[in-house]
Amino acid sequence: MNTPLFKFGAFGDEMSLVVAFAIGIAFGWFLERAGFGSARKLVAQFYLTDLAVFKVMFTAIVTAMLGVFYLGWLGVLDLELLYLSDTNLWPQIVGGLVLGIGFVIGGYCPGTSLVAIATGKIDALFFVGGVMFGVLAIGEAFPLVKTFYESGNYGRLTLPEVLHLPYGVVVFLVVLMALGGFVLAEWAERRFGGASKEA
Amino acid sequence: MAGQLNIRWTMKRRLAAMGLLLGAVAMLGQPLRGHVVTIDTQELAALVEGKVDHVLPEELAAWIIQGQSDYRLVDLREPDAFTAYHIPTAENIPLAQLPTAGLPRNEKIILYSDGGIHAAQAWMLMRVQGYVGSTTLFGGLDGWKEDVVFPIAPTEPTAQQAAQFERALQVAQFFGGRGRAASAGGDTQALSIAAPVAPKSTVSGPATPKAGGPAKKKKKEGC
Repeated sequence: MNTPLFKFGAFGDEMSLVVAFAIGIAFGWFLERAGFGSARKLVAQFYLTDLAVFKVMFTAIVTAMLGVFYLGWLGVLDLELLYLSDTNLWPQIVGGLVLGIGFVIGGYCPGTSLVAIATGKIDALFFVGGVMFGVLAIGEAFPLVKTFYESGNYGRLTLPEVLHLPYGVVVFLVVLMALGGFVLAEWAERRFGGASKEA
Repeated sequence: MAGQLNIRWTMKRRLAAMGLLLGAVAMLGQPLRGHVVTIDTQELAALVEGKVDHVLPEELAAWIIQGQSDYRLVDLREPDAFTAYHIPTAENIPLAQLPTAGLPRNEKIILYSDGGIHAAQAWMLMRVQGYVGSTTLFGGLDGWKEDVVFPIAPTEPTAQQAAQFERALQVAQFFGGRGRAASAGGDTQALSIAAPVAPKSTVSGPATPKAGGPAKKKKKEGC
């Protein structure tokens, strides 16, 4: 069996929606089980009292990275077929800041707000309303921001290309970065967290 | 000392050590398979028989009009033929340069030439190099002109056929063409020669290649 399954024609367009639905539900379920349906838990990371979000997300990144790398090495996964979006440096920096600020203010990121709706959180309902409004506004205003939106395009970049390092070395560096991050995170939790454990 | 270490092997640390080990071993590996591809001839034959190795001119026309940009349209003819006329949004990569053009393998690539043969041969070349997303334009540029730019009016059409032709006419106009009568047998020659006047850019069509039409970016990720 070859992967990516969809690109190798293992299933068609309609089936891909079913698969996406199943993956989406599973993703949401794991987010909820990790406690990410709660705005308190999510925002705690910005006050360095509870860095579970950071730890779970970085664990997911490392797990997926190792999985993709080893599947590619074993010849099961054709890495060049994976979809990569373009790097548009400036708009992506601004977009990241907008998302981050919205995250601190609203208490959710887009995925977790949907998870929170599923468990009946009313603030999440307002949050998703805001997301929808933002999408609509940027869609309507697109001609005005088009130049900026498409600026700083570097095409499809990967870290091994940018750093001129072998793929495997980058994988190792990311693992080291993650482990270092976890150690720091747990230190910060002990330092700043402690008291607010009941939140 | 060793005993103390053993006691401290919590679940977290075990996982961390496993990650570290996998990361360290990864330094020896190469995940990209390069251009070594195993060809399954049965699979290729099934693709051809299942008619999934091509797109129809009408489908392509609809994508261009909608401004879809999730494909690369490649004109395999020589540059002068390309300059004379090409399908909007197409880029020119003559057949001989195709293997070294460095097209990304993760995109849908639609190949066309005048007829169907060159494109079909190019399709085979692409498949051999592992371009699983490559397809051909059914009927090539000839088919494009016949079906999209100069659609033939049906003789004694039913209401449904007439409506269909009406839609085809609108599409034809978008690409700077027009309809023609079914009887005009000898006339087709004249039409297809008259055609290469590049699509009228009066219609706000995505006539310029490359830019890829109105940016309708596909977004597939997010936290």
